[in-house]
Amino acid sequence: MDSGITSASPKLKAATSGFVLAAALTVVCNTALACVKDTSAPLKNFMKSLTDHDWTTHGLVDLFLFVGLGFLFTKSRMTEQMNPSRLIGVLVFAVAGGVLGLALWYAIV
Amino acid sequence: MTNISNSDVILLAHAAFGVTGCLAALWVFVETLSARPANAGRIQTAAVITTLMMTAGWICGGYWYVHFYPAEKALILGGPWPFAHNFFMETKEHLFFVAAVLAFLLPITTRESLHSNSAARTLVLSVSGLIVVTGLSVEAAGAIIDHGVKVALLQDALKGAHSWIPGSPQRLRN
Repeated sequence: MDSGITSASPKLKAATSGFVLAAALTVVCNTALACVKDTSAPLKNFMKSLTDHDWTTHGLVDLFLFVGLGFLFTKSRMTEQMNPSRLIGVLVFAVAGGVLGLALWYAIV
Repeated sequence: MTNISNSDVILLAHAAFGVTGCLAALWVFVETLSARPANAGRIQTAAVITTLMMTAGWICGGYWYVHFYPAEKALILGGPWPFAHNFFMETKEHLFFVAAVLAFLLPITTRESLHSNSAARTLVLSVSGLIVVTGLSVEAAGAIIDHGVKVALLQDALKGAHSWIPGSPQRLRN
């Protein structure tokens, strides 16, 4: 059966590559913020003061970071020149590193 | 007599939305393995369902976590499985954001011509696969947290005391 899959030049749209890089950076920042707020009571209190709970603020920071960086990278077209395979590798590595970082952090702390 | 509180409904809804989001991501993954013009619309629909389910899970789970979890946290920390909070809940509540960001990314990636672009196919397979893995990890952590509450309540029932719960009658008497 023909699946219809063909191979063309593997390029991604500016919006796709922009938001992929934004997602990778957001995931890394998510882990970093989780670790930093645990070690910094003033930061945790500040985040708590914004939405009544530091977790809520944390989620909103991630959301704004993803959307903001995504539009920034899309508009600047800076990710268009990136090799798609490398971009996918960056995303997978960021997610694996972010997840492992969270698990290690809370296993130690 | 049945007594289902709002807390129970919200708690179960957040897990149900999360599992449905994972299933929708799995649907995207399987359809993308045989991407062709005919199933492009289905892939995009499944990707949007993934996003909507994860968003609903975020709202329900977030509301429950902020408003109802503190009481369960006290139970877990006083019970035999404190790691259910210290490790699993702490990791879960931040790991969820990873799954959520990927769920927001998925519909953007499925707008590519997947049948003709091998890089886009690899990307969608990677993103949807990561959503399934991280989403199911979050679900598994939720089950362990739930069991942490259960063993704490069982221990408490066997002891017949609630002295470690702040504000409990036993504690106030002491």
